Amino acid sequence: MARSRTAVLAGIGAAVLALAACGGGSGSDKAKGTNSSGAKVSSIKLVAAEYSKENTAKFWNDFATKYKAKTGVTLDVQVVSWNDIAQQSTTMVQNNTPPDILNINYYSSYAKDNLLYNADEVLPSSVQSDLLDAFKTSGTFNGKLYGFPDLSSARALFYNKTLFRQAGIAAPPTTWDEFEADAKKLTGLGNGTIGYAEPLGPEEAQAEFSIWAFNNGGDWKDSSGKWTINSDKNVETLAFLKKLSDEKLTQNNPGKTNRTDGAFPLFKSGKAGMIVGFGPLSSDLDKQKKIDYGIAPMPTKGASSPQTYGVTDYLDAFKKPGNQDAVKAFYDLYYQPDEVNTFIKAEGFLPVTKSGLDVFKAQPNLKVYIDTLPNVHLTPNQDPTWDKVLAAVQQNIGAAVGPSGDPKKVLDNLQKTAESGG
Amino acid sequence: MTDSRTEASLAGAASQPNTTGSDVAAGQGSARPSPPWRARRRRPQRGRAPWYVALLWLSPALVLIAGVVIYPAIELVRASVSHYSITGLRLGPAGGRNYSRVLDHPALATVLKNTLVWVVAVVVLTILISLALAQFLSKDFFGRRVVRWSVIVPWAASLVITARLFTLIYDYYHGILNHTLLSLHLISKPIDFLGDDRWTMTSMIAVGVFVSIPFTAYVFLAGLNSIPSDVFEAALIDGAKPWQIYWSVTLPLLRPAMLVASVLNIIYVFNSFPIVYTLNDRNPGFTHDTSITFMYKLAFKSSEHDIGMSAATGVFNVILILLVVMAYLKLVRWQEPVNR
Repeated sequence: MARSRTAVLAGIGAAVLALAACGGGSGSDKAKGTNSSGAKVSSIKLVAAEYSKENTAKFWNDFATKYKAKTGVTLDVQVVSWNDIAQQSTTMVQNNTPPDILNINYYSSYAKDNLLYNADEVLPSSVQSDLLDAFKTSGTFNGKLYGFPDLSSARALFYNKTLFRQAGIAAPPTTWDEFEADAKKLTGLGNGTIGYAEPLGPEEAQAEFSIWAFNNGGDWKDSSGKWTINSDKNVETLAFLKKLSDEKLTQNNPGKTNRTDGAFPLFKSGKAGMIVGFGPLSSDLDKQKKIDYGIAPMPTKGASSPQTYGVTDYLDAFKKPGNQDAVKAFYDLYYQPDEVNTFIKAEGFLPVTKSGLDVFKAQPNLKVYIDTLPNVHLTPNQDPTWDKVLAAVQQNIGAAVGPSGDPKKVLDNLQKTAESGG
Repeated sequence: MTDSRTEASLAGAASQPNTTGSDVAAGQGSARPSPPWRARRRRPQRGRAPWYVALLWLSPALVLIAGVVIYPAIELVRASVSHYSITGLRLGPAGGRNYSRVLDHPALATVLKNTLVWVVAVVVLTILISLALAQFLSKDFFGRRVVRWSVIVPWAASLVITARLFTLIYDYYHGILNHTLLSLHLISKPIDFLGDDRWTMTSMIAVGVFVSIPFTAYVFLAGLNSIPSDVFEAALIDGAKPWQIYWSVTLPLLRPAMLVASVLNIIYVFNSFPIVYTLNDRNPGFTHDTSITFMYKLAFKSSEHDIGMSAATGVFNVILILLVVMAYLKLVRWQEPVNR
C-alpha cells in the first residue's frame, strides 16, 4: 500500500517535472527571440480590433487576399472585439506569442518595452510624409515614429433638431452658459426628455472629459510635458459636468453610463437632446432615419475657438525574426489610398493622411470634422505613462459626478497616479 | 491496454510454430528469449499490478491533471513572483512585491467584504429556495415533467448571455423590470438597479441565485428520491406531524446532498466571474467587485494593469477558497456517519 502510493506520487512528480521543463524550455527559447535559420516568414498574423460587425472582418479578409497575391505571404487575420483586445494582446505578449501586426489604441508601452519596429524600419517613406502632422506627433516615442495610425475620429456636438424646435431653441449653443440654458429648456419639455447624454462610465470616460476640458482651455499635459490633470481649468470642467448631473440635466447616473450601450441609445431613441458624437453614430442615425439631427462645433468656455477631440488607433508592428520585409509590405499595401480610405469610409471614420483628407473633403457631411482635423487635439498617447493614466481615468473619473463626488479630489488622485509614473 | 494486447499476440505467436509468428516476435524484439515471458504470464497476478503497469494505465489521467491543473498552477505562482510591464512583457523577478502590493491595495477591504456578502447570500438563498423547489418537484402532479425541464433552462444558458439579458431587464430607461414595477404603481420613479450603489449587490445576488438554483435543486431532488419511502411510513405510524417529519427525517437524510450542494456552490459562486463582471461593468472603481473580478481588473482594466499583481491575487483566491471549504467541512463534521 505505502509502496504503491510512493510510486504514484513519484509518477506524478516526474510528469510535473517533465511538463514544467517543457514549459520553461519553450518559453525561454522564444524569449530569446532567436531564429536559428533566420529565414523569411511565410505567414504573418494580424490581430485587429473590431470597429463594426459588418465591415471590419470583411475588409481585412479581402485585404489578406490581395496581400497574399502581391507578396506570396499569407496574412492570418484575427478580429477581436474592443472589449477583449487589451486582454488578449497582453496575454499574447506574456506568452511570447505576439502577433506581427496589432491594431489597437495604444503603442508607446510596447515601444518602451522595445517590442516594435519604428517607421524607419518598416514604413515606406512616401507614407511617412503623407501622414497628418498631428498624428505623427502623437505617434512619436523617443524621437521615432512607432504609432502608425490606421484611422481617426473626431468628435462634435450632435443635437436633436426636433427637440430643439419644441424647446424653442434657434441655434446650437456656442458657450457653456448657452449650453446649460439649452439643456434646461430641453429637460423642461418633460416626458423623460434628457438635456444632455453624458457618458462618464469606464468605457470611454477620457473622451467625454477630454473634449470638455479642451474647450475650457484645459489639457492633460502642458506644453512643457508636465502633467496638468488637476489644473484649475480641468477641475472647473469636471465641476461643470457634475453640475449638469446635479441639476438633472443629464441622464440618470452619468458617472456609470457607458457610451455605446448607455448614452447612444438615448440619443438614437430621441430621448436625449444633445450628445457628443462621431462618424459611426452619424452612420447609425442615417441608417435608422428616425432622428432629425444636426452636428455643431463644441460650445466653449475658456478656449478661444471650438476644439475637437481626436482619436486615432494604431497598427503596431512587432519585431519578430524574419518578419521585417513581410511587415513592410503590409504597410505598403495598407496605406495605398484605395485600401486605407476604403476601410475608413466603410467604418465611418476619418482619414489619417493628407491624400485622404483631399478625398474625404468632397463629402459634405464630414465637413465639420475635416475642417478641424489638421488641428485635432489628442490625448498624450506618446507617453507610456498615459496608458496607465488612461485606465485610472476610465475607472475613477465617473465617481466625481456622483451625488457625493468630489471633482477636485478625483483629479488630484489622477494627477498623483500620473506623476508617480502610473 | 497496449500491454495486454502485446501479451495476447505474443501468446498466440508462441503457441504456434515460428512460421506465422516470426514478424510479431521480430517486432517485439526477438533477442528476448520466450520462456521467461511465458513463465511470467502464467504466474497468477491477482490483486496488485506492479507500479509501472499502474503508471501506464494511469498516465492519460496523470498527463491530463498535470496539464490542466498542475502546470497552470505552477505558471500562476511563477507569474505572481514576476515583474511585468503593462504590455505583458516579463521584466524580471519581483520577489514578494506583488503580494504586498495586493495586501496594501486600498480597495482590498471593500473587495473582501463584497466577496463575503456575495458568496454567503447567494449560497444561502440558493439552498433555501432549492430545498423548497426540490420538495415541490418531487411530488407527483400534472405537468411535472414540463416544470422540471423549465427549471433546467437557466442552467443550460451561457452565463454571459444570462447576465447580458439581466442588464437589459434591469435597465433604468428601457428595462422591463422598471416598466412592470412602474405600471403596477409599486414605485413612482425607476430604480437604477445596476448603477445605484444601494441596489447593485442585491441585483447581482438575485441573478446569482437564479443561475445556481437549477443545479442545486436537482441535487436535492436526487437526494429526496434516494430516501426510501418506508422511513416516512414509519414516521407517520409513530404519529409525526408533517413539519416534524421534514425536520427530523427528511433533512437529516438529505445531509449528503446538502454537503455536495453547499460545497460545490461555495466554490462555484466564489469563482463566478461573468455575472459580477457583466452586471457591474458600467461602474467605475472596485465598489462592487468580488475578488475574482478584482483579479481580472488588476490585470487588464485598472491603472495597475499588472499581470503579476493579478496572479498574486489569484494565489490568494485559491488559498482563500481552500480555507473556506475546509472550514466549512470541519464545521459540519462531514466524516460523521449520516445516522446520528
